Amino acid sequence: MVRRPRLSRTVLAVAAVCAALLSGCDGRLLEKLFTPPPGPTPIRIGLLHSQTGTMAISETGLRDAEELALLEIDAAGGLLGHPVEAVIEDGRSRSADIFPRRARKLLSEDKVFALFGGWTSDSRKAMAPIIAEAKSLLFYAVQYEGNECAEGVIYTGSTPNQQILPALDWFLGDAGGRRRRFYLIGSDYVYPRTANYVARKYLASKGVEVVGEAYVPLGSHDFRRPIAELRGTNPDVVLSTINGDSNVDFYAELAKQGVGPDELPVVATSIGENEIRSLLPSQVAGQWVLANYFQSIDTPANRAFVDAFRSEFGLDRVTDDPMESAYVAVKLWKLGVERAGTTDPQTVLAALSKGASIEGPGGTVRFDPRTRHLAKKFRLGLVREDRQIAVVHESPEPIEPDPYPAFAFPGWRCDWTQGPPVAGAPIDLSAGSTPGR
Amino acid sequence: MVSWIFDVPTWEFAALTSGAFILFSWLGAIFARPILRPLLGGRSSLNDIVGYILSIFGVFYGLLLGLLAVAAYQGYGTTQGIVAKEASSLAALRRDIAAYPEPERQNLTWLLRDYTRYVVKQAWPLQQKGIVPKGGDVRMTAFQERLLRFQPMTAAEEVMHAETLRQFNVYYEARRMRLQSVGTSIPGTMWYVVFLGAIANLVLVWLFDMSLLSHLFLGGLLAAFLGAMIFLIADMDNPFRGAVSLSAAPFEPILSDLMED
Repeated sequence: MVRRPRLSRTVLAVAAVCAALLSGCDGRLLEKLFTPPPGPTPIRIGLLHSQTGTMAISETGLRDAEELALLEIDAAGGLLGHPVEAVIEDGRSRSADIFPRRARKLLSEDKVFALFGGWTSDSRKAMAPIIAEAKSLLFYAVQYEGNECAEGVIYTGSTPNQQILPALDWFLGDAGGRRRRFYLIGSDYVYPRTANYVARKYLASKGVEVVGEAYVPLGSHDFRRPIAELRGTNPDVVLSTINGDSNVDFYAELAKQGVGPDELPVVATSIGENEIRSLLPSQVAGQWVLANYFQSIDTPANRAFVDAFRSEFGLDRVTDDPMESAYVAVKLWKLGVERAGTTDPQTVLAALSKGASIEGPGGTVRFDPRTRHLAKKFRLGLVREDRQIAVVHESPEPIEPDPYPAFAFPGWRCDWTQGPPVAGAPIDLSAGSTPGR
Repeated sequence: MVSWIFDVPTWEFAALTSGAFILFSWLGAIFARPILRPLLGGRSSLNDIVGYILSIFGVFYGLLLGLLAVAAYQGYGTTQGIVAKEASSLAALRRDIAAYPEPERQNLTWLLRDYTRYVVKQAWPLQQKGIVPKGGDVRMTAFQERLLRFQPMTAAEEVMHAETLRQFNVYYEARRMRLQSVGTSIPGTMWYVVFLGAIANLVLVWLFDMSLLSHLFLGGLLAAFLGAMIFLIADMDNPFRGAVSLSAAPFEPILSDLMED
């Protein structure tokens, strides 16, 4: 009678000790006691490029360049006292479905503060509405066709007036051999069609003939017929807006049909050192490339960039124009975050809009708050035997971006400092086109 | 099992485990023993009964701990074998692609390097946090896509290509096995039984009729040993985590070889 309550207390005491130890076994108690305080939360950004599929040949390099910029930021102590972490997704070369789905996932689930992604204009156009809806930022690093000023998109690649039009001028002039018969060939999607529309309008304004125009499906590997048709029009220069690994087959087929650069020079907008590595020198040496940056630029900033890239990703890796733009894009975002003192996308954009310039590997680039593009130099290059590209001509100063050249897009205007873009007359991209035979 | 244990240094974890058991044993000897013994009647033969029960219990508990230790060690050894197989098949794959004609050789080398770099620099640190790395899938797919685009032009190239594809499959299988073993560990229920058994052992020791000093010494000794055994099992439980874990060392020579290619 006397011992019973004592027994209960003892059993309870032992049970309590056991429960305490068992709860420790489960980890909740001990985890709270012994887990060290968390370090600074990483700032997350999204990298969304095609790492598989037809565009992987081009886009993987952008991912690597962006990773390099992030590694450099972290090595220098991070951003606002935080490390920067990349959440990487694969667009799988599927602009219409995968790109917007992954962009939405990065913004809503991974909570990234900015997105760096895309190559094809289709992928950019698919992501832009999602960026605008989320009031976030998309840094798009590839040369493109213009005709766009999307909300929340920062374009670090070039517009036609910074790449295609200066090249056309050069080929129309004495230095370029006073060419008069242009043939336009491209992959069949929005960039080549719009870029060729701009080129066609520009050449028409100069009284120059476009002898033919042809499009092949993106990812196409059979160029026998397109090249035969192209030769049938007897052009004296070809402007190529072919994208992705189709370029490899295009140049290989040209070589196979015995069409060399002396007989018919090809001027390409969407090929660089990264794509050329997949070709044999005999297939591509002597052909022309339009860009704002080439790996061969001999400046201390570029040598440092190339060396850093190679030591991180392999001694035989190459850098090219979109990769440099992607690297610059991350550095530009970093500058915006530092100036804003926050990662909030709209505040970062406002900070950049007060004026910003970056000393990139290809030279100084300046952020244009009106168009949210970069002012940058034009460079024309010739592919060498070692598959590097020699600079033949460059603009003396950076060229201001113009996404809506008046001769091609009358009435259209982009000036974010005054308000949203103004729409002009409807544009018919096929107007004045001459189908290839 | 709790995950924080892998984030503390080994010696701290070992000291913590043994220390917790010793503390529990001593607290029981000081506070619970004076209450428990009178409850059981305080007969002079109680030591014999407790000793008999403890010896039976000890056999079963020892078997449990022994088997768990062996299972944890075998799991570690098996995973070590998987990682070694994966690394050697990756090295073989690297040799195979070196025989391809240009420009395929360079393209495949770059893609394999990209993958290997990811394994060493990003996947391994994630595994050490108990996270199954996902970025390797994309890189493997990119490599496979490029490999499948190659069109052999000669009989020798056909043989070489077939062998590379076979080696790729061997590699892929080993890789899947490695990823599956990232989350492999002793089930939580088993840990409850282990801890319950340890507590029962120590409670039984409290029932011996001995001086307090003997209790503190002998009970503390047993508690320290139990703590050490449990530490050993816990530390080996996940092959990629903690001080006793597999490193990316087998992949590092392949990466440096690829980097300089």
